[in-house]
This record gives sequence, C-alpha cells and structure tokens, in this order.
Amino acid sequence: MKETLQKLVESFGPVGYEDEVRAVIRQEIEGVADQISVNKLGSLIAVKQGSGRGKKIMLVAHMDEIGLIVTHIDARGFARVTQLGTVYPIYHIGGRVRFASGQLGVIGVDRREDNNKPPALDQLYIDVGAKDKPSCPVQVGDVACFHRSMEAVGNRLIAKSMDDRLGCAMLIETLRRLRTTPHEVYFVFSTQEEMTSAGARTAAYSIEPDVALAIDVTDTGDTPRALPKAVELGKGPAIKLQDSGMIVDPRVKEWMVKRAREARIPYQLEILRGGTTDAQAIQISRDGIPTGSLSVPCRYTHSPSEMVDMADVENGVKLLLALVKKPIVLSDE
Amino acid sequence: MDVNALLKKLSQTTGLSGYETKIRAEVLAEWGRFVDETRTDKVGNAVAVKRGYARKAHRKIMLASHMDEIGFMVAGFSHGFLRVSPIGGIDARVLPGQEVIVHSRQRDLPGIISSTPPHLLKPDDRSKVISLDQLWIDVGLAPAQVNRFVSIGDLVSIRRDVTELKNGLLAGKAFDNRASVAAVAVCLELLATIQHQWDVIAVATVQEETSALGAATSAFGIAPDAAIAIDVTYGVQYGSAGNEVFPLDKGPTIGIGPNMQPKMTQGLIEAAQRIKLDHQIEPMAGSSGTDGWLIQVVREGIPTGVVGIPLRSMHTPVEVVSPRDVEQTGRLLAEFIGGLDEKFYESLTE
Ligand SMILES: [Zn+2]
Repeated sequence: MKETLQKLVESFGPVGYEDEVRAVIRQEIEGVADQISVNKLGSLIAVKQGSGRGKKIMLVAHMDEIGLIVTHIDARGFARVTQLGTVYPIYHIGGRVRFASGQLGVIGVDRREDNNKPPALDQLYIDVGAKDKPSCPVQVGDVACFHRSMEAVGNRLIAKSMDDRLGCAMLIETLRRLRTTPHEVYFVFSTQEEMTSAGARTAAYSIEPDVALAIDVTDTGDTPRALPKAVELGKGPAIKLQDSGMIVDPRVKEWMVKRAREARIPYQLEILRGGTTDAQAIQISRDGIPTGSLSVPCRYTHSPSEMVDMADVENGVKLLLALVKKPIVLSDE
Repeated sequence: MDVNALLKKLSQTTGLSGYETKIRAEVLAEWGRFVDETRTDKVGNAVAVKRGYARKAHRKIMLASHMDEIGFMVAGFSHGFLRVSPIGGIDARVLPGQEVIVHSRQRDLPGIISSTPPHLLKPDDRSKVISLDQLWIDVGLAPAQVNRFVSIGDLVSIRRDVTELKNGLLAGKAFDNRASVAAVAVCLELLATIQHQWDVIAVATVQEETSALGAATSAFGIAPDAAIAIDVTYGVQYGSAGNEVFPLDKGPTIGIGPNMQPKMTQGLIEAAQRIKLDHQIEPMAGSSGTDGWLIQVVREGIPTGVVGIPLRSMHTPVEVVSPRDVEQTGRLLAEFIGGLDEKFYESLTE
C-alpha cells in the first residue's frame, strides 16, 4: 500500500485538476474492479459486484488536493496567486510549488512591517526564476500544487495531500483485498471535495446508494497546545459523530462501532469543529442517504507535511473490509 | 385542542438535531389524530398525509416545520468534568449555571454547566463571555468514575420545563421550532372541517439547526407542487430595534423576498385577509434562515412560502412565545390550504 500511496501523494491534483491522480488510480485498479467509469464531473467510479442479496454501498475518497492558481504576473515575472481549497499561508513561506507543466517555483513573501503576524495569502508570491514578464513560463490561470516528497519517520509517514490520497490508497487496498461480498460496492474517487464536493455530490445522485461512507483525514488533538480534541495519532481510525457540515446518522455510527468491536479493531470517536467532508454532500442527496465517515487521524492537515500513522491506516482498511463483507444492519437507536 | 398543553409537551420533549427519535414519536402521535396516514422517512422526518378531495389533479402542498432543537455532544473529559461540542447555533453567553441532562448509554444523568466563581477570575475576565471550550459540565462523578457512565458522543440537552408568564405567554427551551410543530397540529385539526382539494403533506423535519438535511431530502422525496416552511422569527424585546423584529400577539409573519415565490406570499396574505386574521409582513432580503431556503431549490424548483411565529430570546433555554400566535398561525395555514385550487396552481407559473 505504501508504494501506491507514494505515487498518489506525489501526483498533481489541485481542486478541479485531478486528471493525473485519476490516471494513477485507474492503473492501480485495472483488472481488480468489475467495472470502471468516469462521471461527468471527473469522479472515477469502480464497482465490485456482490453475490446479489446485499445492499448498494458507496465508499468515497477525494482525489483533489488544495493548491494555488495564478491571478497576476508582475513586470519582473513574479506570480500572485489565490487558493484552491483552504490554504494557510503560514505553512508555505519558503516552500515550493509545482505547476502542471512540471515547472517549479519558490513561495516568497512581501516585506512586512510586523514580522510577528502571519502573512495573508495576497502577501505571498511565486518566484519561478523568470527574468521578466515576457520570459515567465507561467500564466494567469495556471494551477500549482505544493511540492513535497513522501518520507517515513518510523511507522509514520509525512507527505503533502495525505488529505485525501490516503483515503484513495485505502480504497484501492480495500478493493484489492475484497474477495467476496454480498453487496454491490461502489468505490468513488471524487473531485473537488476541497471546495464544493461537486464530485461526490453528483456521484451519489447517480449511484443512489443505500448507505455511504466517506474516507478522509481528520485533525488530531495530541500536539502541543492543540485545540482540545479526543483524537490521537496511532490510536486507531476514527468513526465520525459530527462535524461542521453534518450529524452522522446514528444508525451508521452504531453499525461501524459494532463491526469494529467484533473485529477487535481499535477505533476512536471523532467530533470535528471547523471542517467537513464529502459525507455531508452525500447525506443530503436525493431523499437522503444514511452516511457516515471513517476518518484517519492526521497531524498538520492542509500543510505540505501531513503526518499519519501506518497502524491507523492498516486498521482503517481492516475496518472497511469488515464493514463491506458482512450484512449491513441499520437499526434505530 | 389544548394548545398550551401541546406546546408544553413538545418543548419539554428531547430531540437534538440528528437524534429526533423521541420528539418524532410525540409529533406522529399528535399529528396522527388528524390525518389519513403517517410515516417516518429515510432520514427520520415525521411525515403526515391528509388527502384532499380532488382525485384528478392531485396536487400536493408540503408544510415543513423542524422538530430538532439545539444542544451538545460530549467531546472529552477533564478532572471528571465533561467538555462538549455544540449541536446547532449555541449561544455561549446564556450557558453558565444551566441545568442539563446527559443522555448516557445506560441512563439519563442530571448535570449542570459549571462556572468559575467570580472571586477566582482575573478582573479582566469577569466581564468576558466564556467560550464553549471553557465551559465544563459537572455531573458529580469523580474522574475515575466518569468513563464508566459517560462516553464521547453522548448527547447533552438543556433541562427546562415550560414556565407560564403573564398574559398567557410561555417560556421554554425548544419553542424554536416546536411552536411551529404545534401550529401545524392546529392547522391539521382545522382541516377536518374545511373542504380542501390538495393533499397536505406535513413534515416535521430533522436537522434544520445544523444542515437543513430533513427539509431538502423530504422535499425531494415528496416532490410537492408548493411548500410552506413554518419557523419562529425574532420577537420585539428590550434591546431589539429595526424592522427585523415583530411584536408577539400580532399574529404570524408572512415572509416576502427572494426565498418566497411571490404568488405564495400573495396567497398567504389574501388568506389572512379573507378571515381578518392579524398578520405581519416580514421582509427577508436573502436567505430566510429556514427550511424554505433549501426546499426552494429542490428538483426543478418548488414554489415556497415562509410563515413565522414571533419569539423572544431565541436560542436560549427560555424562548418566549404566545400560544395565541401559534393558534393564528394554524388558522392561516388552514385557510390558505382551503383556498388552493387548479387556478392557483396555474398562477404559480403565469
Ligand atoms: Zn479531505
């Protein structure tokens, strides 16, 4: 799984520009899925047929990552940018970006009166090494991702776009290990989660699943002076209860907790404030879809060094398998 | 119908967003007395159907009043105290010193929202609002005991019985929006005595306070020809000013603005005029902040109206409402529904 993950996190795929990631995923699952298609908004949908008596279940992870888009090139060839998804400038000064063409650039910052204050995004610029505007290799509208390779620190991995290529890698791994299931399982690799969840929203509309799960990362509360949050790295995948976009259907939560307990998989319960996932858009699709979320604990989300623990990842895949292999029972509280 | 008794019962029943099981049972029982059929839909909305007499055209009007209320979820522990996360638009200013119920897996535990004594606060902090992160719930358990009884994810609701104020006004924790649920009950009862062509589908929606999930999904499932969202609106009170507040006991408000199909607004005003019912016009320049906002854009679009019940001290445990306004709102809805015909349907697209 590590190899697949490395390919995925090092791919280029800012919101709305997921082609490269989609191609990588397609390659990884060719021959494993019973059916592969791409929907009108670019989401990749792989189907694993069931033995016929189960439900229709949709698992979704998003392919897109946060990034930058060029808004202006000045006379000396410096590019100004705005964000695709939520970008925290404080994480990026001195970092590098990569454009779709492969062109690299350095993220610089204007001189400021007060260096103690974090800069705003419009105080950052990209230096691609150009001498002037005419020779600048990038143009207004060009899109960049943050440039960073994946590294291992013990059993923990750091990379850009763990959010949510990690989820993509987990879906691929689940698909590979899933021999038989009573259910029709839809593996959806969605577009544009970081802005509108347009990919998952439209996929849910066309698939009309009986139940859906989003697989995404979530912040932890275990770093120095972190916002209090009862989720820690390495303590198991987290079953979402609520975030700022949704209350998870309690029946889905109970089903997930039950399967985790049966399979003796460690898990945590997640309450996220300030943020949401594709699950929110799926839940409100059509006349409503019971939807939950499996979150992988991740430190420094939306930075170029998102850190995850491989034990959580492995346990997350185990839990996904336990969920899709057995009957799905959603009973009232 | 004893509106006061109904309001009391509905306000005192627990039903936090996403966890509406108890209140749904109450609503289905109350509404069920006046309708042909009730059901619970996929996301937990309570749906009650009262058939109209027109067999041919079979138009449907949906009434949406949300039944969820704001509250909390246990998010962590410290020294035996519970840290909570909000469900819905919690106002941290009114919380210290409140009584709550912690709905743990085994049983309901009484609790209180603790507050640091003023003597122990720095002078600067005494006049500051305490943020939710610094509010802790005390259930009396020792640190070693608390995890035996309470888990992350357990719900916490405000504990507050209804109090009757002078002039028959009522104060309670969940008149947003149980007042509207009661108004719909009044409407459904009246419809037994009114000939109406259209089918009436009353929906007590879930999760309005968080995402309006229930409104959007039920509107999709029902695909009504028109809809009315009934929700509370700001009552005139000390400190309130401007044209966004409405006096109690002057009847329901009828919303006018981009969320409302003009023919719906006009139809509601005319219905009020027909029966000489006190009503107020409520301009809503953008989102109505009600279920109606999402209902309007479901499927190919649903002509929507918004009716409001003035309420003082919104999103506090002592929301004040007038039972007379609740009754008048029910009357307005029934009169409007009684007047629905093919001509009105056609006028919607004229
Ligand atoms: Zn994500």
